[in-house]
Amino acid sequence: MNSRGAAHHDGAKVGIELAHHFETVEQQRYAATLGIWAWLLTELLLFAALFLTALILRVTHPEAVKLATGHLKFWIGAVNTVVLICSSLTMSAAIEFSRMGWQRAMVRAMLATAGLGTLFLLLKGYEYYADYEEHMMPFLSRRPYELHESPASRLFVNLYYVATSLHALHLFTGIGLLLGMTWMAAKAGFLARHQNWIEVYGLYWHFIDLVWILAFPILYVVNRGA
Amino acid sequence: MTAGSIDAGLSGRDPHTPESTLDRPRDYLHAQSTLRSWFLTTDHKRIAILYLTSITLFFIIGAVAAGVVRLALVVPNGAILNNDNYNKAFTLHGVVMVWFFLIPSIPATFGNFLIPLMIGAKDLAFPKLNLTSWYIFMAGALFTMISVVLGGIDTGWTFYAPLSTAFSNTWVLPALIGVTIVGFSSILTGLNFVVTIHTMRAPGMTWFRLPIFVWTHYATSLIFLLATPVITVALILLVAERAFHVGVFDPAYGGDPVLFQHLFWFYSHPAVYIMVLPGMGVISEIVPAFAQKKLFGYKFVAYAAIGLASVTFFVWGHHMFVNGQSDLASLVFSGLSFAVAVPSAVKVYNWTATIHKGSLRLDTPMLYAMGYIGLFVLGGLTGLFLATLAINQHIHATYFVVAHFHYIMVGGTVLAFLGGLHFWWPKFTGRMYNESWGRVSALLIFIGFNVTFFPQFILGYLGMPRRYATYPAEFQLLNVLSSAGATILAAGYIFPMLYLVYSIWWGRRAPGNPWQAKGLEWETTSPPPTLNFITPPKVPNQPYDYPIKVTETGGTPA
Repeated sequence: MNSRGAAHHDGAKVGIELAHHFETVEQQRYAATLGIWAWLLTELLLFAALFLTALILRVTHPEAVKLATGHLKFWIGAVNTVVLICSSLTMSAAIEFSRMGWQRAMVRAMLATAGLGTLFLLLKGYEYYADYEEHMMPFLSRRPYELHESPASRLFVNLYYVATSLHALHLFTGIGLLLGMTWMAAKAGFLARHQNWIEVYGLYWHFIDLVWILAFPILYVVNRGA
Repeated sequence: MTAGSIDAGLSGRDPHTPESTLDRPRDYLHAQSTLRSWFLTTDHKRIAILYLTSITLFFIIGAVAAGVVRLALVVPNGAILNNDNYNKAFTLHGVVMVWFFLIPSIPATFGNFLIPLMIGAKDLAFPKLNLTSWYIFMAGALFTMISVVLGGIDTGWTFYAPLSTAFSNTWVLPALIGVTIVGFSSILTGLNFVVTIHTMRAPGMTWFRLPIFVWTHYATSLIFLLATPVITVALILLVAERAFHVGVFDPAYGGDPVLFQHLFWFYSHPAVYIMVLPGMGVISEIVPAFAQKKLFGYKFVAYAAIGLASVTFFVWGHHMFVNGQSDLASLVFSGLSFAVAVPSAVKVYNWTATIHKGSLRLDTPMLYAMGYIGLFVLGGLTGLFLATLAINQHIHATYFVVAHFHYIMVGGTVLAFLGGLHFWWPKFTGRMYNESWGRVSALLIFIGFNVTFFPQFILGYLGMPRRYATYPAEFQLLNVLSSAGATILAAGYIFPMLYLVYSIWWGRRAPGNPWQAKGLEWETTSPPPTLNFITPPKVPNQPYDYPIKVTETGGTPA
């Protein structure tokens, strides 16, 4: 078994505890990694349906979509993209520290990741508030929709809310899981038993980031300058 | 006659001497006996039994609803059920049968039980996740049942918008949420199977030594992973629209109703293969065992499973031929739908070729398998009628469609389910059922099924639309015939429930391999121990390694 970190000052023993139904640690590690990739594949199709619909709408109703995107807060979206990319960096650092057995550094990197994720949600929440102020929530019956002459723009705006809130839900769940795992990972001996949890979780976090990296151009950027 | 057998005869218990049990681990059924050991088990076999019990319950609910529908259609004027109640009855039937019986049926029960056994593993890759899937399934089912208890839903199992989002005054929301939740159970089961088949195979078990049952489950699992999320998002959008007026489908909110049909059928057509492929796997196991002959064209059957799972993603538009989609799109979808017939036919020809000149034993599982092959051919061929654009205009949304998909879903999947249940029952329970009752029931189901559904082809061809409580009086004779067939079918369903349950306590004890079948699941005891194998299996052979028969002239049969 891999025990690269053992020589370091802070280096805890790194490894995986073999579960009863696996023959080898390698098999168990492979299964966990393949499992999370399969899950991400299914998640990708969840979002793909929404993104594809939004893109087709851009082709069939370019003017209406342009009206709608004019009200999106481009700079909040852009800053959030940077925030999430930074969080993927800290998550990668956590994985690297976990491989080396640097438990304390790993926990800090995980907390930083959760912090950046929370910052994203706060910014997103502010963006929704600004949308509300601009009467850009067509589903609120007491608040007349700003672009009511353009029905197709309404479909785009609704897709924007569904896609971004589904992403926010993933991020929210992700932060919850991350904090729960940080709490467990801070205990002694964690890395000797479950080091690959960090790697598996890392893939999920990067995926949340990737979904936003797809959402940002599709919803905010395409056709913006034209 | 010895004293021992008289005693056994009097008590009605099994007169056979059990095999030696010294030093043998307890079988999975008797390893522990508390309720907790069942409801918190991570043993794939016990979870399979949990699923088997729950989907049988849903099958009964769905079948009763079908009975109510057939009862109402005995009279043409809607005197038995009015429009509203008729709509609720057929919706209940469709929702329960599709989402809570057909989709989980074979994968969640037989797949769960058999995949680790067939590949020589101790369990699925993620045992806790497997149990979680069952709880998610039950939670989803509970939500859906809430809407039934509160008064039912009338949207049909397809939940078409805007009927489901704006116009229906029934309890649509709990049902939508329930079906969304159940989707996650499918996804997690599929994920578990994919990972298990990739990573947990015993030494020597190469991909082309996998039984076809495993191949078809692999293909099914890919559909679970790739198609289910799309229905999840479609259902989420329905919930958002109905509950929060976030309009995506209803034109009144700026939405597009055809969009729902696209998203819905992108999942629900592949879902047909979620229901069909595992059944094909079951048949591919039964036929070689009861013909005592190697499966003909093993690799083609395996590739055909993957082929079906791939082509099925590109035919969803054939559900939308009359909704205004472009002629070009219809033409392409029609052509691709014809392509589905190719891998389907490959399988049918290969089963037939396996039976050809085999040493046939027409025991209960084989009777179901033969019934399956015949009915699947009829269901498949009528699918080609429906894929033809011009004919589709005439028979779209008529009883022709209803008959077509019941030939596939009941004639195919349910027969495969029952065939598989009888085939592996000795392995599941360690008991043999009564063979005569089994054969009688198989025959009853075959007859009852055809009497019920064949008239519906004619009704549809004559123009009777589906989903109406009333119909012109001249269709009454065929409708009464169909309803009469349903009573025969019902008898055919009730018998197995009785004699199978009876066999659990009073059946003859089953040997490890009662059918002289090949496959790792037959090399362990019946029922298997908790970790499946007493000695870890190795696989030196090709699958379906049945002995080659030598004819009188000394050659092998063609």
